[in-house]
Amino acid sequence: MSDRDFTVIGQSVIRKEALSKVLGEAKFAADYKFDGMLYGGVFRSTVPHAAIKRFDASKALALPGVACVLTAKDIPGKNKTGIIIKDEPCLVDDKVRRVGDAIALVAADTPERVHEALDLMEIEYDLLEPIFTIERALEEDSPKIHGTTNIHAKKHLECGDVDAAFAKCDVIVENTYSTQMLSHMFIEPDAGVATYKDKIITVYASTQNPHYDRSDVAGVLGLPSNRVRIVQVTTGGGFGGKLDISVQCHIALLAYHIGKPVKMVRSRTESTIVSAKRHPMTMRAKTGATKDGKIQAVEVFMTGDTGAYASYGPAVITRAVVHCMGPYEVPNVRVDAVFVYTNNPMSGAMRGFGVPQAAYCHEGQMNAIAKELKMDPIELRLLNAHRIGTTIATGQVLTDSVGFKETLLAAAAKAKEVM
Amino acid sequence: MEKIRVSFNLNNEDVTIETFPNKRVVDMLREDFGCTSVKEGCGEGECGACTVIRNGEPVTSCTMLAGQVAGDRIVTLEGLSKNGELDILQKTFMEAGAVQCGFCTPGMILSAKALLMKNPHPTREEIRRALSGNLCRCTGYTKIIKAVEMAIEE
Repeated sequence: MSDRDFTVIGQSVIRKEALSKVLGEAKFAADYKFDGMLYGGVFRSTVPHAAIKRFDASKALALPGVACVLTAKDIPGKNKTGIIIKDEPCLVDDKVRRVGDAIALVAADTPERVHEALDLMEIEYDLLEPIFTIERALEEDSPKIHGTTNIHAKKHLECGDVDAAFAKCDVIVENTYSTQMLSHMFIEPDAGVATYKDKIITVYASTQNPHYDRSDVAGVLGLPSNRVRIVQVTTGGGFGGKLDISVQCHIALLAYHIGKPVKMVRSRTESTIVSAKRHPMTMRAKTGATKDGKIQAVEVFMTGDTGAYASYGPAVITRAVVHCMGPYEVPNVRVDAVFVYTNNPMSGAMRGFGVPQAAYCHEGQMNAIAKELKMDPIELRLLNAHRIGTTIATGQVLTDSVGFKETLLAAAAKAKEVM
Repeated sequence: MEKIRVSFNLNNEDVTIETFPNKRVVDMLREDFGCTSVKEGCGEGECGACTVIRNGEPVTSCTMLAGQVAGDRIVTLEGLSKNGELDILQKTFMEAGAVQCGFCTPGMILSAKALLMKNPHPTREEIRRALSGNLCRCTGYTKIIKAVEMAIEE
């Protein structure tokens, strides 16, 4: 059989659900409707770091059409969610850690009433010093966002003899690279509907992570997993941004308390404030090469801002560390990384998990070395490129599927066409 | 607040509704007429997901109030295929791989349709301009533009 005899592999196929999407029939979370369905909303903090002095929802509760207002004390199970580390409350209990933290939930008969109820809720804070920079977060006298340290994760990677290798290099370049926070801006804002029937919670949600959603919903409600169903409905983009819990626990909690279906659709503003972001990172890099163009050593110190909650931080820091030499053979490597909690928006998964940030650093360093050596930057990259048989800094041997050289050559040829 | 009476043509059918004057057209179409192909992505006329064709022109239904469509002809994606026959753009969007998550698709197809209704043979530049008010986060636009070009050829 030749490579091209397959009916699907290597062929251009029309995706299964394309027809329902061009007809406008595909049902996204906000399109779901159930009999007796109510609408849910979230009262959110407008300050980044504070204890709650007073919260009063009595005026909201007095509004006709409002079914309930729930706070942390109405959570029957554990008030902790999170994909790797459970450090994010479903509803704020001890203190607010970012602008947009969920403080109370409301369910009412119309979306308009939900907004009216949210406007009637009153709050007073005892403000705490907010931490917006990694530098301040790491200072000894800074307020601690979780526990006794603001360090969320640390990683160290080392191979070879870095100091000895630098001593033998003909050129060494040192630079610092900073990347900014980015939002996924999935085109469909987070949404979902929850029902509670026959003692089973069912959540229909726009999500990338139904199995993780299930354990967080079960945890918050204090229910065994077999009483929680998560249905991932047609999801309007995610790019990593819908891996974290969004509306799932909130609508499940509301539906559980009032026994009616509850829908929640975030506005674009709410979605943008609350959803995870790409970690902003700073990378201080030192790269050394011999005059033949071979990279001999790389040393990187990187810091990342994981914001108020860990989300996918532990995974992002690992990828960023492992990938910060790029697709190049480097025999001597030392990388140290520190990710910290701040009162900034939560950082999490976003296409590449820290690797795109590291790419700014290693590609900038390759250009800087090429300039020092007066070498063609493509030649320099080809000379140091990963190949089959390369051992990377973690000790892994690349045994197949190393397409970097071919990709680079194709990109260089294409660049010549347009530049 | 007093309700107002609004009559318009929706997908080739004359309709009348009693609704609040502050109801947005996107909400009226979705909630009162069940046209859930009309999507809300931003609520401020930036993303184009809620695009409908109003008297031949693409408009963002999240920035219009119910009373503004009185007497108008409104087309949503539900009204594009006729008697089960797909519009050519619906076919080429599928064939070109211009549909991924599908949330921008209704607005994207309707903006393209409004363009082709006025200008059956647009240039690539004209297609790009006509679709510039519709954001897509998945495809990178290349295949969407290709889908419109395929529709022109057929």
